[in-house]
Amino acid sequence: MATLSQYAKVIRSKNAGPFELTFDIMFDSREAYETIRRSGIITARLIARIYGISHNEVLVCRSYDPALSFKITIRRPVSSDDIGESDVYGCQQHVPLTAIEIPDT
Amino acid sequence: MKQLTGLAPSGSLGSGFNLPAFRSALDSGPDFIGQDAGSTDMGPYYLGTATPFLPRASYKHDLGLMLDAAREREIPLLVGSCLTSGTRPQLDLAVDIVTELARERKHSFTMAVIDAELDKGFLKRRLGDGGIESLGPDEDLTPDLIDRCPHIVAQMGVEPFVHALDAGADVIVAGRACDDAVFAAVPVMNGFDKGLSLHMGKILECAGLSAIPCDLAEPLVGRIERDGFLVWPGHPDHRCTSLSVAGHSLYERGDPGIQPGPGGINDLDHATYREVDRRTVRVTGSRFIPDPDYRVKLEGAELAGFRSIVIVGVRDPVLIGQIDGLLQEMRERADTRFADCEPGAFRIDFHVYGKNAVMRHLEPSTDVAPHEIGILINVVASTQDLASEVSMYVRGSLQHASYPGIIATAGNLAYPFSPFSVPVGPAYRFAVYHLLPLKDPCECFPMTLVQV
Repeated sequence: MATLSQYAKVIRSKNAGPFELTFDIMFDSREAYETIRRSGIITARLIARIYGISHNEVLVCRSYDPALSFKITIRRPVSSDDIGESDVYGCQQHVPLTAIEIPDT
Repeated sequence: MKQLTGLAPSGSLGSGFNLPAFRSALDSGPDFIGQDAGSTDMGPYYLGTATPFLPRASYKHDLGLMLDAAREREIPLLVGSCLTSGTRPQLDLAVDIVTELARERKHSFTMAVIDAELDKGFLKRRLGDGGIESLGPDEDLTPDLIDRCPHIVAQMGVEPFVHALDAGADVIVAGRACDDAVFAAVPVMNGFDKGLSLHMGKILECAGLSAIPCDLAEPLVGRIERDGFLVWPGHPDHRCTSLSVAGHSLYERGDPGIQPGPGGINDLDHATYREVDRRTVRVTGSRFIPDPDYRVKLEGAELAGFRSIVIVGVRDPVLIGQIDGLLQEMRERADTRFADCEPGAFRIDFHVYGKNAVMRHLEPSTDVAPHEIGILINVVASTQDLASEVSMYVRGSLQHASYPGIIATAGNLAYPFSPFSVPVGPAYRFAVYHLLPLKDPCECFPMTLVQV
């Protein structure tokens, strides 16, 4: 089975303000983007399971056609730089997304 | 006016930028230069202490190049979120640098200084009017919370910039500002569509991050027209593509289509991105939808305490296998040893590098067996002395702790250097991140004109 990183060109995470983390999954071909979009695999439920958070903490999970992208935004478990937090920019939280398994079509 | 051209030298003031590319960008005849000079991204420390992220000389270097270019062409220079968090002391530093540069390089101009640090009395009086909404903190905005934050800033929209330009400013040095507003002000003032102007501002604020190769230190040019805008990089060999520009529209935003800001939402769901030549993209369809209320975002950081850290390494597999339990034991020992301190006087955090230090709560891989780990002992306490004392106690306890199966009884920790405990200074946390309704978009952003 293939993983998302074999389809996507960019998979990244970053702060969207100090209280949210946002993830971008970007494709460089419409075909790859449409394959993932049509598979319906990227859902708030999946994101919650991957990161071990509640469904309610996934604030946004949607596709954005103009950029051939998916956008996911979650509430940060701890705000940027508060005690218990280790990634001030939030830019190293993306890795579990790369391993999302994509069923063969 | 059919079109207006804006130039963003770099995505972050003080990081330097590519000079030949800046010169080529200047050849396209910009009508203004805009520069973002701050963010909350680097953490609450800068907002709490009102100190800049970079050394003064780094800002002076970049500002000197921009000021020379702007004055030579007699076009406005707009700098927002000076210098890092947009507080008054950081704004004063920017004013000091610009004034010094003008004197050294014999420029004279009208400078507008726009303050974004809120008067606490004003803010407390506004509490009674209601309508203040948290964008993250659990705590409501109260007089007590306001007093706990040394500096509270509001993010200005385009209006205070337009007000300064109307008043004849050649150079605008502003406190905390929306990144896009720095670039949207001149277009909005000249009657260009607000949705397109803000969207172009969103693309320009990070400069070369919207291009290929993606580089914050590469200049970017935007040209707004009546029904769209163009963007291209200053560097002749770099390119903007429909995907690089559309992709940047998502960057650091919670939702790609619905982007809220002061006074309304910028709707990018119907935006189109089209490559008009090898390196230029034309964007259309962005649409600003005004809110009934004009609201600005407030930012404030409160003192969390004083931090001391110890960095150590562990190579022993028997110890690594039991590290979680052992660290919990160290917390309990410290609680007993410092039982006479007030509750909450110190907090101990362990960042176990090699295990789950980077993702912490979000880490799905929990069954790893690293051959070595690094432990950052991070103590935040009510005083610097207490933080150092607790951090040294914890590392001393861990150094000589016994555990089942121990084979090395001479010590558990490898220190990369001495001294072991490093006092880091004050630690802050973001505590104010709320929306405040305004009666007038300029009411908490007083502007001063200075003849330089």
